[in-house]
Amino acid sequence: MALKFDYIASVLFLTVGVLFIIGSKQLESSSYGSAVGPDIFPLILGGALILLSIRLFYETFITKNQQGTKEKLQYKPFLIIFAATLFYILTLETIGYVISTFLFLFVCFQTLERSKVILSLIISACFSGLVYFLYVEVLKGTLPDWPIWF
Amino acid sequence: MSTLDYLFQGFGTALIWYNILFAFVGVLIGTAVGVLPGIGPMSGVALLIPVTASITGGLPPESAATSAIILLAGVYYGAMYGGSTTSILLNTPGESSSVVTTLDGYQMAKKGRAGSALSIAAIGSFVAGIITLVALIALAKPLSAVALKFGPAEYFSLMLLGLGAVSGLAGKSVTKALIMTIFGLLLGTIGIDNVSGIARFTFDVPWLYQGIEFLTIAVGLFAVGEVFKTILEKEEEDTEIAKINNLLPSKAELKESAGPIVRGSLLGFFVGILPGAGATLASFFSYILEKKISRTPSKFGTGTIAGVAAPESANNAASGGAMIPLLTLGIPGSGTTAILMGALMMYNVQPGPLLFEDHPQVAWGLIASMFIGNIMLLILNLPLVKVFAKIIQTPKQFLIPMIIAISIFGVYAVQVSTNDLLLLLGCGLLGYFLSKNDYPIAPLVLGLVLGPMVENNLRRALTISNGDFSVFFTRPISLAFLIITFLWLLIPFIMKRRGKDVIINIEG
Repeated sequence: MALKFDYIASVLFLTVGVLFIIGSKQLESSSYGSAVGPDIFPLILGGALILLSIRLFYETFITKNQQGTKEKLQYKPFLIIFAATLFYILTLETIGYVISTFLFLFVCFQTLERSKVILSLIISACFSGLVYFLYVEVLKGTLPDWPIWF
Repeated sequence: MSTLDYLFQGFGTALIWYNILFAFVGVLIGTAVGVLPGIGPMSGVALLIPVTASITGGLPPESAATSAIILLAGVYYGAMYGGSTTSILLNTPGESSSVVTTLDGYQMAKKGRAGSALSIAAIGSFVAGIITLVALIALAKPLSAVALKFGPAEYFSLMLLGLGAVSGLAGKSVTKALIMTIFGLLLGTIGIDNVSGIARFTFDVPWLYQGIEFLTIAVGLFAVGEVFKTILEKEEEDTEIAKINNLLPSKAELKESAGPIVRGSLLGFFVGILPGAGATLASFFSYILEKKISRTPSKFGTGTIAGVAAPESANNAASGGAMIPLLTLGIPGSGTTAILMGALMMYNVQPGPLLFEDHPQVAWGLIASMFIGNIMLLILNLPLVKVFAKIIQTPKQFLIPMIIAISIFGVYAVQVSTNDLLLLLGCGLLGYFLSKNDYPIAPLVLGLVLGPMVENNLRRALTISNGDFSVFFTRPISLAFLIITFLWLLIPFIMKRRGKDVIINIEG
């Protein structure tokens, strides 16, 4: 697993290095009569990244294939929380901070442990309400407001 | 003005009521961060940057920077105090820098001496904190005077040294660490180039013009990544906390730990100054040192007080020592100091030799506040240690979603953009996979923070020399830095070849 990741990573980093070199080739190579321009630094870095990812590929290649102990990963709660976070981010500006935070926290609390429903409701409400009140009312910051239809 | 005058002025700043409050909140949160396994000082500091930024919004810029850095630094050294609590009571280190403390600390707790172990840890941390502060005050002026003589070529080489040292000691593979460093530096080049004004790698996306915000990356990789890890690798642990009875150590115990505390502080301080080394290494070294010079080395590991006093003093001293290169040279030596530096730069305060001249209020205010913070920590940790031990029992059910919510609130409050939130989520995923596969994250953040400065100095040096790269090798100081960098990366490599175990720094 780890080795497979290293192979993929080395190829990806190699690609990033090549892309940065191509990108810097399109930049101007000098500015205001100076011999060095905005392209030199990314150019050097891109080159270094390419060399290092080749070295990583080689290192992975010569390492003996060790099969580590597979641990059980909790995919289900993770995927739910990841999806909830994504949903939270995307709806934050449309339905406002308080409602989206409340929903997000409540869903996550219940995903991690299906118990203490009332306490979860109270904590989610307090957290979202308190942060909104302190930040927007007391500190005069900006957070997405309540939706228009509310 | 002499150093003492500046220091008194610093106390004037640090003793303003809201700065005392900031220091208090900082060390309080720091202790909590230290106690909670799962949130390290790095994610703690990163999470609090946006919060402090919004709280200090109403102050004039320089006072805002001072107050913010007082709070954030408080989190950093406060975490060093807190980390020992779980090591001793639960045999679970709250931070990687307290791993060694478990060896003797937990054994002491088993024998019913948890109280004295905790109080010695707190006293040791306090003494170490004060010793480092005195050293910091003594060294600050001369070091920044030396650094002022550096030209761009020297600065460039010095920064390479910092980056190389962190990469050489972070994680299992130097190649992976270097890849992360370069990747961070490359990410730093995205956005408008501040020398020529040309947009680089932005693909005409306006959101990318201001560059990739370091805060989003740091919070995502550290805090969110850590949370994902906790969710995915859920482990049931038995939280059986050892009882704390008499809190005060006996006279014999105090006498026995005086030597280890002083030695641990000095060693920790010097290890802390070195870039790349840090609190974790310092605590390891001091434990090994105590074991070597002890007349009864067999006692170590069975609950001797020296095995708690030395590493706990050392990790605290190292966190103070790490402030020296940050404040005087402007080069962070670890992940956490890189984040502190990023925070200062958000306030337009550039750490470095000029910090003490341009912003004495910030520099000396911070130093003075560290005195106050250390006293607060001693008071907090001695009688209130039982309260903090309760924090460990915070149910993860509530803690984990709240960390995500705070991350999202923080990034949105500073950036006000959904794009940054998506980047945050992506970084969380990336951070989990990277650290799972031994790609250290601290070098990436360090590269991102230092990137623009490295580039500016490189280009200035090359402009002066008219594009001639030999300038870095002909100037003696610059050459010396480059040779040290080279050796730093090469020696661990050779030692690994010879089959020796190289101690690596996990904390970053």
